[in-house]
Amino acid sequence: MNAFEYAGPTSPELAVKAIGRSGAAFLSGGTDLLNRMKDYVATPSRVVYINDIKPLAGVHASGGAMSIGAATKLAAIVHDKTIEAHLPALHRATAEVGTPQLRHMATIGGNLLQRPRCWYYRNGFGLLGMKDGKSLVRTGDNRYHAIFLTDGDALFVNPSSIAAPLIALGAEATLLGPKGERTIAVEKLYQVPKSAADSELTIAADELLTKVTIPRIRGKNATYEIRQKRAYDWPIVLASAALELDGSKVTSAKIILAGVAPIPWRSEEAEAAIVGKELTTESAEAAGAAAVSKAKPLSMNAYKVTLAKVAVKRALLTIAGKKYWEEA
Amino acid sequence: MLETEQKPPNNRASRRDFLRGSGLAAATTVLTGRATAAIEEARAQDSEVQVLSGEIPLKLNVNGEEKATVAEPRSTLLDTLRNRLDVTGPKRVCDRASCGACTVIVEGETVYSCTTLAVSCQGKAIETIESFDTGPNGVPYAFHQNDGLMCGYCTPGFVTSCKALLDQNKNPTLEEIQRGLDGNICRCGTYGGVFKAALAAAKTMKGA
Amino acid sequence: MASWPQNPKLIGGRIPRLDGLGKASGKTKYPSDVRPDGTLFGVLLTSPVPYAKIKSIDASAAAKMPGVKAIHLVVEAGGTLHYQGETIGGVAAETEEKARDAVRAIKVEYEILPHVATEEQAMAPGAPQIMNGGNVRKGREVANPKVDEAYRAADFKLDSTYSIPVITHVCLESHGLTVRWDNDDHMTVWASTQNVGGVSGELAGAFQIPATNVHTMTEVMGGGFGSKFGADVWGVIAGHLSKKAGGKPVRMFLDRSQEHLTGGNRPSGTAHIQMGATKDGMLTAMIAETHGTGGSSRGANFPLPYVYFVPNAKRSHSDVYVNGGDARAMRAPGHPQGCALMEAAMDDIAAMIGIDPLDFRIKNLPPKDFRTPIYLQELELGAKAIGWKEKWKPRGQNGSGTIKRGLGLGLHQWGGGGTTDKQVSCTINPDGSVEVKSATQDLGTGTRTILAIITAEVLGLKTTDIKSNIGDSLFPPGQPSGGSTTAPSMSPPAYNAALQARDAFLAKIAPALAAEAQQLSLADGQVLIDGQPKISWKDACRKLGMGSVSVTAGALPGLSSNGVGGCQFAEAEVDVETGVVKLKKIVAVQDSGLIIDMLTWESQVYGGVIGGINPALFEERVMDPGSGLMLNADMEMYKLAGASDIPEIVVIPLDTPEMRARGVIGVGEPPTISTAAAIRNAVSNAIGVPVNKWPMTPMNVLDALAAAKQGKA
Repeated sequence: MNAFEYAGPTSPELAVKAIGRSGAAFLSGGTDLLNRMKDYVATPSRVVYINDIKPLAGVHASGGAMSIGAATKLAAIVHDKTIEAHLPALHRATAEVGTPQLRHMATIGGNLLQRPRCWYYRNGFGLLGMKDGKSLVRTGDNRYHAIFLTDGDALFVNPSSIAAPLIALGAEATLLGPKGERTIAVEKLYQVPKSAADSELTIAADELLTKVTIPRIRGKNATYEIRQKRAYDWPIVLASAALELDGSKVTSAKIILAGVAPIPWRSEEAEAAIVGKELTTESAEAAGAAAVSKAKPLSMNAYKVTLAKVAVKRALLTIAGKKYWEEA
Repeated sequence: MLETEQKPPNNRASRRDFLRGSGLAAATTVLTGRATAAIEEARAQDSEVQVLSGEIPLKLNVNGEEKATVAEPRSTLLDTLRNRLDVTGPKRVCDRASCGACTVIVEGETVYSCTTLAVSCQGKAIETIESFDTGPNGVPYAFHQNDGLMCGYCTPGFVTSCKALLDQNKNPTLEEIQRGLDGNICRCGTYGGVFKAALAAAKTMKGA
Repeated sequence: MASWPQNPKLIGGRIPRLDGLGKASGKTKYPSDVRPDGTLFGVLLTSPVPYAKIKSIDASAAAKMPGVKAIHLVVEAGGTLHYQGETIGGVAAETEEKARDAVRAIKVEYEILPHVATEEQAMAPGAPQIMNGGNVRKGREVANPKVDEAYRAADFKLDSTYSIPVITHVCLESHGLTVRWDNDDHMTVWASTQNVGGVSGELAGAFQIPATNVHTMTEVMGGGFGSKFGADVWGVIAGHLSKKAGGKPVRMFLDRSQEHLTGGNRPSGTAHIQMGATKDGMLTAMIAETHGTGGSSRGANFPLPYVYFVPNAKRSHSDVYVNGGDARAMRAPGHPQGCALMEAAMDDIAAMIGIDPLDFRIKNLPPKDFRTPIYLQELELGAKAIGWKEKWKPRGQNGSGTIKRGLGLGLHQWGGGGTTDKQVSCTINPDGSVEVKSATQDLGTGTRTILAIITAEVLGLKTTDIKSNIGDSLFPPGQPSGGSTTAPSMSPPAYNAALQARDAFLAKIAPALAAEAQQLSLADGQVLIDGQPKISWKDACRKLGMGSVSVTAGALPGLSSNGVGGCQFAEAEVDVETGVVKLKKIVAVQDSGLIIDMLTWESQVYGGVIGGINPALFEERVMDPGSGLMLNADMEMYKLAGASDIPEIVVIPLDTPEMRARGVIGVGEPPTISTAAAIRNAVSNAIGVPVNKWPMTPMNVLDALAAAKQGKA
């Protein structure tokens, strides 16, 4: 880790003031940034520590909507009874992140804005995993990489487990910059980088994510995560679904996948397949199949197409209360 | 934090480093004055943000004791404990928040000290395994009796996670114990003894 | 021939390890915790590239950085680096942060050479050759002349390829040591090692001083698994740095990525196996063409055929060189690979024949091997504990929904055994304290405790009455801890030393008790005359006056043995839609002669099983063909089981009078050998399709299912 200047502001405004120069980075739980700094993948000259800024933390419900401060620890989200009862998609995804220690450290803002886990990126080959102008990912070990948008150069996957349920739930992110506040849909935090110099995050270097807000939810929602280990692991694929139902008929759907593309992946195909249908094993299966109809796996990760299909199906059937995979 | 009388314990911090620990506004100007003047200026700007760099004096509350040392902003809590305060119960294994050997309790919650900056822990209560009861009612004793360790290098982390778990949940099931210890890795493979130790410690702590 | 006590009070009991509380309370200082006064922090500079010539190297800027006290390089311009992580040099500085900065300030210019990072790359036609003599070094073929004919004539013919990847040791305490020069020709060393004597010897050789002048201490250590037998190049560098820094202690431990890259690894194993059997389930032939890689070192061979009697066999093996770190011995070197590959083929051909794989194995045990009757007892115990009769079904027939269940098993063997040239000293002091000493070490295996148990048994004391001091090179010569040889090497001299100390003690105090020495005995902390308690141990020791009794003794014959079997059974559930494997239960049945401490013995076996679960399900070194780098040199993407991944594990000792009569045999290696085989077989039994690549990840399981589906379509 390179040496850096450290600032520990006490308010969001001071944090934005302290960040106001190039080469500075906000430090929240540290579980992503400090690791990248140790590996010299990130070399900020100034670190602005925001985790002790009180107004940035906490879960607040009002009028059916819910706002979660960006520096709210994941453990606090997991322990929140309202979230557990009404936002199982978010609750489940958060509970599965990391380990007890990580959930005591990591924040929702940090989870949303963490950089990709792609092992080429983490080994110093940049966001696109290039060496001598060629993609190492495409001909290398891409078992954990993208199955969508693979015609492009960005083959990493968005690492956030929490972005998927938040997007499915229609959440918005509030950003504070030197010129004031702005609010955008959570999915607008992300973009597909076009070059190695691009970021996959749209947030400006001097902007601070202060909170996410989830509107009043009328329907049902669920997340299904597929991972290798039961103890600490990353999802290989995760699917979040938020449905509005009329009886058992689906009237609207938002289905988001994580682990399959450089951005949280909204599957309009799966949504189209399920809207207007009764929520059954067959329709869920069809939605899963639709979700991967445009998947283009890389050399090693065809299995992830299967996983994406199954994750969508199971997220939907979790909503239906038909957890067939848990039956003896 | 920036008291002029307080000398860094080993005097390694250069005067220049010391001066750098000043207000944000001041940091942008050339510090030509005496240290006290600069520091008073920093104090006067309480509404501003202090920027620290170089070697800085740190005060950490470790196991109820105020400990003073000198470290850098980049020094992790773990390295500060181990290399500067001789608190070597927490171990450095993965150094990347994956294995749990460095687990300590900060403000009542377990964290990976390898991925926590020491400077951000000032004013917070840091508990390490060194403070735990080693008698028959304590978690270490249960690990010992149930052979919840082999080489023992992961053990302080497991014991710390286990104690924190039992402080929160007096009557855990085996599955809750497993979930509670999922942030720790043992390479010798002593999990069976660890689970038995956790169950035994829960029983003893309830009885106590 | 000597024999162990017939009705022991302590031996075979469940006795908590003596150093357990110190470790569990964080108070014990490991070699990596030691910070002698004035300690400088060493950081190692290792190669960031897989294969290169060094064009130039310049440490002058680094030397001028604040806090830097010494720099030592071991590679010069013109030298070649053969793998990422190969050592270039080291820096010692006042703080670790400064040492790291200085390492990065050493300017190295590389002339990059074309690398081969994977076996596939190394074996490809036209591959760059990274070794004189080529990337592929073929060993001598061993063949029975009738094997091809026997294979052709077999009723059932299996023809499959299996592979298990390279794994790394992942010692939690990384390799390293702290070295201090005490004067011109004496060093003190705190090393994390399996071999204190070896560390002293290596450093003494490197610095041309007598080995007796290098005092190496390893009171405890954080795991070695076969990879920590010497001072290593970084240890020698630390010695140079200390010397250059005026003798100040220099602490030099690998970081986690270096631990993966250069601290050692277990070679891979790939086997193309053609196996023939009769329709009534007798093996007739086996042709195996195998290869594996130990990086840029040799030693990737493994035993095959394994365990079973194959009347006609042919084996050819090639070591494949890649630009990767050198292999080191790892828990039962070669056996887990040989076992996995053999047992996979055994299950696959049993499925072709349609025979119960347990029966099939029993039929093909070697008829004249001393282990066969042991295996038969063990298989009976294991089959009962896993519920084989009730639960086993042919492949793919267990479970109707998406969750399929399966059972599998594997058999293993290990030689081990002890040396007879090691010594233990036993000292009885007038204050009643007793100390045993030897220059062996405790890797977490319980060595310290078993020496105390044996001593306490002989002296009629409690284990906690004995001070068991090991891990010091100045003590009587002890066994390097490897190959399951420590317990069988150290138990006999410990027993002998205790017996001789006891006899000397009794002879010395007999006059004071007005008795003949042969009338005296020891039990329950008392000295007995003609079987009657007479005086407490402490009071008796006072009669020694000013002199202690101290005996240093070697082994007695007849107290240890070698050669064990063992078998493991696995029960797994596989979600066939996701390929996720969930272990339900593992049963490990193990013989190892006389068990000294049942508690630590069980931990060893239990830990061995987890050491097999990891390569069965999770761990593998992932090398990138394009960059030649290891992609997962961490503990996040290098996956290891955590608490929630651990199934019920049942450990069953084959602890019979016959086994006890064999004497002490170590148990470090055997219980880790067959786990990965048993789990693979349970997974294949569950899903009805052979999975031929370890680990059993969702990728490998789903790929196997997809391949089978395609084959059928």
